[in-house]
Amino acid sequence: MATETESARPSGKAGPAAGNDCILDLHGLYKNYGPIEALKPTTLSFRRGEIHAIVGENGAGKSTLIKLLTGVVRRSGGDIRWNGKVVPLGNPLEAIALGINAVHQEVVLCKHLSVAENIFLGDEKVRLGLLQKRRMKVLAQAILDDLGFNISAGATLGSLTIGQQQLVATARASERGIRFLIFDEPTAYLTRQEAAQLFTLIRRFKAEGVTIVYISHRMEEVFELADRVSVLRDGNLVGTRDIADTNEAELVSLMINRTLDQIYHKETIPQGEVLLETRDLCGKGFEDISITVHAGEIVGLYGLIGAGRSEFALSLFGRNPRTSGEILWKGKPVSITSERRAIDLGIALSPESRRDQGLNVNLPIGLNINLPIYDRLTWGPLVNAREEARSADRQIADLSIKTPTRRALVSSLSGGNQQKVVIGKWLNHGADLFIFDEPTVGVDVGTKAEIYRLFADLLKRGAGIILISSYLPEVYELADTLHVFRGGKLAGSHGFRDAPDESVLAEAIGV
Amino acid sequence: MTTTELAPPGAQAAKRNYSFLFALTLLGLLAALCIVLTIANPIFMTDRNISNLLRQGSMIAILAVGQTFVIITAGIDLSVGAIVGFSTVVIALLIQAGVPTSLAILITLMVGAGIGMFHGFGITRMGLPPFIITLATLTSLRGIGLVMTNGSTISINDKGFTEFATQSFLGIPSLFWMVILVSVPAYVFLDHSRWGRYLFAVGSNRESARLSGVSVPRTIYLAYSLSGVFAAFVGVLLAMRIGIGNATQADGWELLAIASTVIGGTSLFGAIGSIHGPLIGAFILAVINNGANLLNVNSFWQRIITGVLIIVIVFFDQLRRRSG
Repeated sequence: MATETESARPSGKAGPAAGNDCILDLHGLYKNYGPIEALKPTTLSFRRGEIHAIVGENGAGKSTLIKLLTGVVRRSGGDIRWNGKVVPLGNPLEAIALGINAVHQEVVLCKHLSVAENIFLGDEKVRLGLLQKRRMKVLAQAILDDLGFNISAGATLGSLTIGQQQLVATARASERGIRFLIFDEPTAYLTRQEAAQLFTLIRRFKAEGVTIVYISHRMEEVFELADRVSVLRDGNLVGTRDIADTNEAELVSLMINRTLDQIYHKETIPQGEVLLETRDLCGKGFEDISITVHAGEIVGLYGLIGAGRSEFALSLFGRNPRTSGEILWKGKPVSITSERRAIDLGIALSPESRRDQGLNVNLPIGLNINLPIYDRLTWGPLVNAREEARSADRQIADLSIKTPTRRALVSSLSGGNQQKVVIGKWLNHGADLFIFDEPTVGVDVGTKAEIYRLFADLLKRGAGIILISSYLPEVYELADTLHVFRGGKLAGSHGFRDAPDESVLAEAIGV
Repeated sequence: MTTTELAPPGAQAAKRNYSFLFALTLLGLLAALCIVLTIANPIFMTDRNISNLLRQGSMIAILAVGQTFVIITAGIDLSVGAIVGFSTVVIALLIQAGVPTSLAILITLMVGAGIGMFHGFGITRMGLPPFIITLATLTSLRGIGLVMTNGSTISINDKGFTEFATQSFLGIPSLFWMVILVSVPAYVFLDHSRWGRYLFAVGSNRESARLSGVSVPRTIYLAYSLSGVFAAFVGVLLAMRIGIGNATQADGWELLAIASTVIGGTSLFGAIGSIHGPLIGAFILAVINNGANLLNVNSFWQRIITGVLIIVIVFFDQLRRRSG
């Protein structure tokens, strides 16, 4: 296998370097959640004072790696060595004690407290058991000024922009005597000027010998900042390069995954009438989206998280109605103002987050499956218990949901089976257009194949599908029409395989 | 891989039987309390005392059933005690004004429903937390009742109306029959109508319910209206029992109702609850109260015992749920 030899390369390369200048070594570090391997055995060394970029598609294992390094999750196997010594890294406090810190994309600080209070949170300056508020404020201001941030230490954190909050989070990290600092897509919400301030700061950390791990989708940032770059794909480390020895094209080709055809073979299904058409649709989080979905067609929406795909889908489903533009349903202009309206038209949504949006996990499987159709399962004013049971059992059997009974709680199911419950509730309802938002996240390979087969069944029955995915092979191989979202707008539209997958990825990243 | 994904069938069966077992445990506790009290003081088992106990427990039981609808949606209704007091005033004034009894009862129930609708409005339209909006009603309803009566007590001179509370049918106090009258439809509603399913769905995950086409606002209006109607109904029963209308009556009953509901296995986080649980819970509290009186236990101690009981029962319930 090509990946085998490629993944051997970085370890071979990093091996001899693992002398004094290496601060953190990973030896066969590994993490699985049940049958799902989030990070396959990975061997990688981080050098003292380097800026090490990590790139990869969503779901490639980047966040798992961060969580392992910061002690948020426990590894399933392998070693982590800090200055050559094996460390357990079993909890976040241990990571902080070593000097490992992370600045997350979403700011995880207290919005109601002042900047100074946030900087010293958990490490308050105290005299005689009382807080030295004034001293902390002065110290904090000194740190902020020293870093060149134009932020007042007395301001309430919540009153700052997200970008400024991010800078405060960085200042907080710098106060703790850090040795190893991880940035997780820090510039996602920053203005250009704030990003420039952040880069200056990062270079300063580097000059002080701090090791920086920089996770980003933005290639230009990687090439501007990093000394080395590692590429993750599907939980595998597929390569580590010196930045001088590589280019954008090579990184994109390393990130690209082409493993889907092993479990999926596209069938040709004749397309029918136009189901849905949007014309210059604008709404919260997306602008000027024009797409068409035919019966028997999968329309793929690809893009990074936050590119506006889910917002667009929710809007089609009656949430946050459009601000301008047109929606045509089977040729007629419609306005979709509520979820009920969308459902009554014949639109079904399997939302992005199973747990938060798709399921009532502490309720029985049967109730979840029947929730959209209880108005049909009636017997006078009451629920028709026999119909209710039959309807639930039919989906449990058809989708082979692995449960002993429809009365079991959804929380007792694995991720893949939970996803089947989400799908099952819309199969009973029988919609014409199915919107699947990230249907295979956290789902094992076998269930993935079942879900893809199910798509084909739906298409044969004359339904249309909008498939939203951050996993390129999925949309690339499945979609008859593929639209690429970037920053809330369409960055490109393609027919089936009529553009190389590299260029689709490049459109989404904005290379 | 398939075997790892399957939960052991035994665990599933245990989960299914769990709520039945919990109800049995509660009933067992109730029986044990009765036996201990009978041994401690033979007066406990006399007809007179049992009738009295059933009358005491009935009103809290009905309140607890109404409260359960709200708590299943992950809400709380702190106003029910105040609605009871306010309803005694409403019905007393109506009867005093010569309104026919049945019409007066109907109007009082509608007032209760109206108050519940107001809570639904506050929660769904104004975005207030249930705790806050019902707390506001708790204090202001008592105020409105006092303003309406100028702080005085309205006596009800309709004999037929007040006699109902002291009557018995088939040897069982009429007030206890009212519990049955209320809880049978309540059970059918909660366990056998789609609106019952929606209450659970909204309490479990509002967003998912909404994305499945359930009208979350309508469900919340429904839950609080039911709680309001039930509380108004208890107000009518209380007015029958004491023969007066007074806005300060039923002080603290909301807490007794919530305690009964929680003892009966309802989760304050929503989506877990039944009708029989709160009923048993209410009568456990009534027996403790009654027994303590018979044994001449200081009423201060009753409060302490009730508190300890809530902690113990809910703790064991949580423990079982986690391990189950």
